[in-house]
Amino acid sequence: MSLLAAETSRQRIDRPAAIARSLLPLAGIVIGALLIHGAGASLGQYPSRVMLDCGVAIIAAVSLTIVNGFTGQFSIGHAAFIAIGGYTAGFCTYYFALSRGIDPGGVNASLLGGPQWVMAAACILAGIVAAGIGWIVGLPSLRLRGDYLAIVTLGFGEIVRVLIQQTAPQIDSAAEFRQTGWIAALLPPAVGGSLGLRDTPKTTNLFWLFIAVGICLLFAFRLKYSSLGRALISIREDEIAAEAMGVNVTKLKVRAFVFAAFFAGVAGALCAHIPGVPMNPADAGFQRSFDIVMMVVLGGLGSISGATVAAILITLITAFTLALAEYDLLQYRMPVFAILLILMMIFRPRGIFGLNEIWDWLPGFRRKRNLLENQRGFDVEEKA
Amino acid sequence: MTAPLLAPLLNVEAIGISFGGLKAVQSFTLKIPRGGLHGLIGPNGAGKTTVFNLLTGVYVPQTGSIELDGTKLIGKKTYQIAAAGLSRTFQNIRLFPDLSVIDNVRLGMHLRGRHTLRDTLLRTFTFARQEQAIEDRAMELLRLFDLEARSEEYARNLPYGDQRRLEIIRALATEPKLILLDEPAAGMNPAEKNDLAKSIEQIREKFGLTVLLIEHDMGLVMDICERITVLDYGQTIAEGTPDEIQSNPKVIEAYLGEEVK
Repeated sequence: MSLLAAETSRQRIDRPAAIARSLLPLAGIVIGALLIHGAGASLGQYPSRVMLDCGVAIIAAVSLTIVNGFTGQFSIGHAAFIAIGGYTAGFCTYYFALSRGIDPGGVNASLLGGPQWVMAAACILAGIVAAGIGWIVGLPSLRLRGDYLAIVTLGFGEIVRVLIQQTAPQIDSAAEFRQTGWIAALLPPAVGGSLGLRDTPKTTNLFWLFIAVGICLLFAFRLKYSSLGRALISIREDEIAAEAMGVNVTKLKVRAFVFAAFFAGVAGALCAHIPGVPMNPADAGFQRSFDIVMMVVLGGLGSISGATVAAILITLITAFTLALAEYDLLQYRMPVFAILLILMMIFRPRGIFGLNEIWDWLPGFRRKRNLLENQRGFDVEEKA
Repeated sequence: MTAPLLAPLLNVEAIGISFGGLKAVQSFTLKIPRGGLHGLIGPNGAGKTTVFNLLTGVYVPQTGSIELDGTKLIGKKTYQIAAAGLSRTFQNIRLFPDLSVIDNVRLGMHLRGRHTLRDTLLRTFTFARQEQAIEDRAMELLRLFDLEARSEEYARNLPYGDQRRLEIIRALATEPKLILLDEPAAGMNPAEKNDLAKSIEQIREKFGLTVLLIEHDMGLVMDICERITVLDYGQTIAEGTPDEIQSNPKVIEAYLGEEVK
């Protein structure tokens, strides 16, 4: 038996406190999601739409942080997993509604209605499909380093985009779908080709989205502050040293990639059910991937709260330029991002928060960092 | 399976590797008894670091065999060799610069723990116990080497000598049977070298470890090593006690050149 195992068996822990630390954040997530849902309802349609976009961006950015920030592998094809998740979930819910003889486009958002649960199941399925594809893509490509991995992931994104463009047209009527059935709809996938996947049930609302955001944040934080997360970060810090210290580098890189793909899939699934935006092949493209990479880099590679803040910031800037469409400001969106990134390179070259989290800047926090306070740190993030 | 006590802890039989036409290391044989301190010296480019890379699985030997405590190491990956009980430090320090000092040590314990995703995400009792144990043991190791006051600093902010020591602590955290030190005294001043010699003694006394040391500093090597192997152009040219090595004509020739007649 190793010395560590012996020491572990000697440890005594405060069980009620440990249970509380384990479960309280979940209650926090539900309450937080309810509050945000309420806030969205009182603010009106456009602000709540922007909040939905923020939520999707947060999940995308935080999940990419696990790959680009923790393990330091530079993946720039993250949007492909979002599209895969979105199309998977959209396909399931659209044809599920058709098979029940319901008009899919007419299904609206409610808090805890049946369609929401169908969407939740589709989200999990979408995450699993995206994770599976992430595993298949990651296994060979994560043996590459640096630029080469970036090229492979970029190529993967483009492949997914082109494949989606080549899919069959959607089946429109319930009667027709009854005739053809699921298998015919799946081979080739009838998800609309370059027209995009239209008329999916509009079941995403702020409550469900922010439940997913909360779970994603909790996942990322608990991963970061654990031995597993430290092992991921050690790969970023020095791959050779990590391997020499007994870290199975290849296995952990693939794992990180799979986690990230899972949450990207969930983000895509939620995105596919937001009112007013059909999924389309461009969602898998380079532009979307680059937006997410920008959020991660702007926030600080490895900082979860940084990615969150940057995701909100970039979504707000986009929304702002869109809202002022009558002044024709949309064309200035890209220069604004460029200036933002240049300013960041000059003043904060490691991102807004660098490698740290928000609370690492609070006085007295960095000094006594242990598990308990990491947990408290999470609550700070929840309130923020 | 543990080998009988009298058998050498590390048993290297005639390993060799060549890169194209360059025979980097040829039929290198090394036996270190349990608890021994063996030195490996040689002029620049003699193949010392290549030997380390062969032992740790960075390169796979083309000939020969390596056994650690009865376990065959050839064909294993670097991380598996670390788990088998062989840990190392690096010639050019390879700490995790943006992790805190204590996190560097914690990482060393990674391979002795169990880390399931379920425990990590649900923060189970098992998880809490293990993290507490990791922290306690890390602090204990830091205390032993007088680094506990700096436990929350970034590793990159430590002074040079402390970084070297931290690398040794991190290697110790993996609970090795054999530790390979690659030029630990490089760039150190005499006071730091003295501290280092003490640390190495401490490692052997407190942890009962076996040490293989590459070093250019002859004073240090001759002082602390029990036996020394000398490499030149990938070949073992001498093996023996420090006194034997110092008077070996082949060694003198390798370092200083042929005597003028």
